[in-house]
Amino acid sequence: MGREIVIPGDLLSNDRRKAGEGTYVERGKVYASIYGILDKRDKIRVIPLAGRYIPSPGDVVIGNIIEVGFAFWKVEINSPYEGVLNVTEVNRKIDLNKIDEFLNVGDMIIGRVKKIDPAMRVELTLKGEKFFGKIKDGRVIEIAHTRVPRVIGRGGSMISLLKKETGCSIYVGQNGRIWIKGDENSMDILASAIALIEREAHTIGLTEKVEALIKSEKEKLRGGESATKA
Amino acid sequence: MNDKIIAEIRKDYIYNLARRGERIDGRRADEYRDIKIKTDVIQKAEGSAEVMIGNTRVLVGVKMQPGEPFSDTPNMGIIITNVEQVPLASPSFEPGPPDENAIELARVVDRGIRESNAVDLESLCIKEGEEVWMIFIDVHVLDHDGNLTDASALGAIAALMTTKIPNERFGYGEDTPLKIQNIPIAVTTADFGTQIFVDPNLEEEHICSSKVTMIFGSSGEFAGIQKTGSGRLNVEKIYNIVEISSKKAEELREKLLGVIGNGDKKEKGI
Amino acid sequence: MLQKPERLIVDGKRLDGRAFDELRPVKIVVGPLHRADGSCYIEHGKNKVMAAVYGPREVHPKHLQEVTHAIVRYRYNMAPFSVEDRKRPGPDRRSIEISKVSREALESVILKEYFPRSTIDIFVEILQADAGTRVAALNAASVALADAGIPMKGLVSACSVGKVDDTLVLDLSKEEDNYGQADMPVAIVANTGEIAFLQMDGHMTQEEFRKALEMAIDGCKQIYKLQREALLAKYGGLENE
Repeated sequence: MGREIVIPGDLLSNDRRKAGEGTYVERGKVYASIYGILDKRDKIRVIPLAGRYIPSPGDVVIGNIIEVGFAFWKVEINSPYEGVLNVTEVNRKIDLNKIDEFLNVGDMIIGRVKKIDPAMRVELTLKGEKFFGKIKDGRVIEIAHTRVPRVIGRGGSMISLLKKETGCSIYVGQNGRIWIKGDENSMDILASAIALIEREAHTIGLTEKVEALIKSEKEKLRGGESATKA
Repeated sequence: MNDKIIAEIRKDYIYNLARRGERIDGRRADEYRDIKIKTDVIQKAEGSAEVMIGNTRVLVGVKMQPGEPFSDTPNMGIIITNVEQVPLASPSFEPGPPDENAIELARVVDRGIRESNAVDLESLCIKEGEEVWMIFIDVHVLDHDGNLTDASALGAIAALMTTKIPNERFGYGEDTPLKIQNIPIAVTTADFGTQIFVDPNLEEEHICSSKVTMIFGSSGEFAGIQKTGSGRLNVEKIYNIVEISSKKAEELREKLLGVIGNGDKKEKGI
Repeated sequence: MLQKPERLIVDGKRLDGRAFDELRPVKIVVGPLHRADGSCYIEHGKNKVMAAVYGPREVHPKHLQEVTHAIVRYRYNMAPFSVEDRKRPGPDRRSIEISKVSREALESVILKEYFPRSTIDIFVEILQADAGTRVAALNAASVALADAGIPMKGLVSACSVGKVDDTLVLDLSKEEDNYGQADMPVAIVANTGEIAFLQMDGHMTQEEFRKALEMAIDGCKQIYKLQREALLAKYGGLENE
């Protein structure tokens, strides 16, 4: 699989209907607007190699509460834009006088981007999935958001592998934050596997590398256990 | 181009007019607003000029005093150009140190004077390495209705052409006229896509994609160029701007000489 | 201190041996800085320039926010030790003007409307100055923007052309800059050839201006190739695997 890198201004196609993400159209032609990897499989798009996370409706995100308002919370979501979570977007009744009892500054949440207005004001919701809400256990790992698709893998292949091999549950925020839950040893292994994916995201044979890493980490662990027992 | 918010509908209107070669104030594309030049308007200054281009109005004063030369040019006089965009000239001007627009404007005016060798700096040497004449050109914007650059540049050279070196005040004998050896003229154009307009007024300045100021010396040679604004221009357009601007520069020069008289007369005085 | 040479062109060659249309050696490194969202280091002749891009990020102070697009800020700054006589730290009039027109050149390609209410901050430090710092700074800034993943219509590529001993030459050296007759920095957007930046100091005829502009554009295209190569090289391992 050849991976062609393109830079802003590169002519990608003469067919404007093929313009996808990371491109722009001028005089009927499609050009790259960002520095990234060219993907021609369906539409022509450029997969970014860098850049801040820009929220999009429907994204699952993990954020930090940074302000408690009268009937809302402000949430930092690893983006130039902060999210706003209204009390009405929470799956329970909130006493407006004690809003900080449910979520307070410093708490972490996982939720969804509900809607975004043209001025990029971002509304979040905690409704819609069972695992949405305040994060109370496990760990949150942060990676470059551009690497998130590699952690998920094509058709979810990578994330299935990670879940199966480590026994952890994994919730991926599109904003580059990943919530993992499991026993401490498994979370250690999973964290190093995710670090490997981030580091080598754009190399070939990633799945094999991840499998090999998990295997050797598990062996080390077993070796360590038997050593302590002995 | 600037901080002022102009409704999209107004922009569209002006661009649509431009496509037909028309302007909001009814001028032709290559037509300046009325230009008025008055010199010797401030008696306390060594030289001065007031320039109006339409409603735009600037006052330029030249002051001179002896000072120490720069170490790398011990036998040359010094020119210092400053622009003050005082708050009385526009609701968008604020008191305080000059902002990037005022600084850019001063530096473009200065560039024209300096690069055209309008003033013979060596003739301003009093004692090599110790004392030279310093020329302070101060542009005071009084009314901002666009194209401050051309008005300021015109005012600066007009003021210089009427400047008398204040020898007497500093004990160097009689006052003598400042020798001017080249007359730089700045012409600013604004890009409206299909059209190039000279002398943009304030509203045109705000909505054009970019402006180019070209400065020409007396024999039609370039003495400086500045593109400003975030538009892009292709090479043909730039050549087109050169053609329009150099022609306009000649017209402005004639106008200036008509007001001040021929520069040659000045030289005889020295 | 440099002494003024008698002539800057001797036997049809420049003092440093370059041809009239030859650039000084240029080295471009993409992403040398860790904290910035994007960065670039350029050596252009003896110029050493570091550029960093932060953003899009929140605007402070907030009243500078624009509801429909990102604002772009550009700071060209010379280090005190970058020149022969120590430069007083902080912005002077020259650097304020350079920052303004350089920002406008980059604004002509940045797709600002993608990021309402945010800022894209570009910081360029001139670590060593040796003529042509503003074009080297723009070249570095442009690559740093790409490295930061900022969407743009194309890279901005800059180069200067000047006149010395009545001859037009590309990419002035320090001596040529000090004692030459004109200096004209130009930047283009390589894929369309449109001009995004144009200044001229000095005097040249209209005929010379046309030729100078052509030479500058050729120089910009050479710079573009180097910028492009540097960006592709950062992830160069990928293509072959």
